[in-house]
Amino acid sequence: MNEVIEITLRSIYVSGLATLLSLSISVPSAYYLSRNSRVARVIIPILEALIGVPTVFIGLVLYMLLSTRGPLGFLKLLYTPCAIIIGESILVFPLITAITYRVMHNTWITYGELAITLGANEKQTLMLIAKQALPGIIAASIMGFSRAIGELGIALLVGGNIRGYTRVLTTAIALEVSKGSFEVALTLGLILIVTVLSFSALSRIIERWYGL
Amino acid sequence: MTIELRNIWFTYPGLKRWVLRNVSYVFNDNKTYVILGPNGVGKTTLMKLVALLYRPNIGSIITWGYDYWRLPKDKRLSIRRKIVYVHERPILLKGDVLYNIALGLIIRGVKRDEALSEALRILKDLNLNYLATRDTSTLSMGEAQLISIIRAIIIKPKFLLLDEPLAHIDIDKREAILNILHMLRRDYSVTLLISTHDVSVAKVLADEILVIKEGTISKMR
Repeated sequence: MNEVIEITLRSIYVSGLATLLSLSISVPSAYYLSRNSRVARVIIPILEALIGVPTVFIGLVLYMLLSTRGPLGFLKLLYTPCAIIIGESILVFPLITAITYRVMHNTWITYGELAITLGANEKQTLMLIAKQALPGIIAASIMGFSRAIGELGIALLVGGNIRGYTRVLTTAIALEVSKGSFEVALTLGLILIVTVLSFSALSRIIERWYGL
Repeated sequence: MTIELRNIWFTYPGLKRWVLRNVSYVFNDNKTYVILGPNGVGKTTLMKLVALLYRPNIGSIITWGYDYWRLPKDKRLSIRRKIVYVHERPILLKGDVLYNIALGLIIRGVKRDEALSEALRILKDLNLNYLATRDTSTLSMGEAQLISIIRAIIIKPKFLLLDEPLAHIDIDKREAILNILHMLRRDYSVTLLISTHDVSVAKVLADEILVIKEGTISKMR
């Protein structure tokens, strides 16, 4: 039982950090794209196409980069939670950026001119737009988190499913299935779904609490 | 002289005709200008050019002696802060009325508490303090328009542009807005540029009436 709790907490931690890491790049990128329609017309379709990229492909590329003989092997990140965090943040970046762009683009149309005419500088405008777009950004984050916590390919290839270190819910499910322990696998799957639903519900509560 | 449009040509991306063609006009200090014309002739476009929200395709906008669009970006902000544009359809942020009115002051670095006190003071002066704590999502169109005009006034701009301020609103709010406009003309040293398709409003308020027709601007009075 303790191991299940530990795996669940690790999954939340790894995928949560991956989502936050992606958000830190996605939000400024989406804001930039919402202000530069010509660039957005080229970049957004590419990002939307990348949303569906197989997780195992990202895992494979990252594995080759991080393996001992790879160009980033000196970082010694392979088979660490950090490698999963990087991989999952790459995975969810296109999804979060594309959704945040749509939200910010619409918010910019409505509130951008208002910010400018009230005398806001670039930073104040970004803050005002981000604040108005916050419910949409939270929704994008939850989608990103759900995608990250539910993926298997990256966690398995660059995490290695090491017990007590890199084992997360999806790799644990895969292991239990390979052992024929379907009951345990099903229980872990249920925990995964409950976790995703709980975070979605929590975001709704936060939105209402803050009147977003 | 406050703002001068010099040989302005403007079109929107993808549109294959000029919305404004070779428009030149000088807006002087402390006068009230009213732009007349039916919908779709380019009133809002002209207003947004003067408000420095749009950049002309050809021509210059001279603001207090400076060619605005040739200024480096860091120099533009101080000029932009002298001009406020109020949209035809009021845009208010989520939250209460008081915060919305104080927003321009907060952006200018006034402490939040002081800005909110100033917002409350102006609402009291206008006998509208009952609106202070109302959530903006509960306001009628007329109330929202009033709040967006007050939000502009509190900043004390040198140039205030009101795009169809009397459209979409009921009669009692129309009176309230007209009273504010009369007060602005009488008590504030501000240049007003108001667009409307209501000739009676133009006659009552305007020092100069401008008419836009086929992309060009002419003076009616």
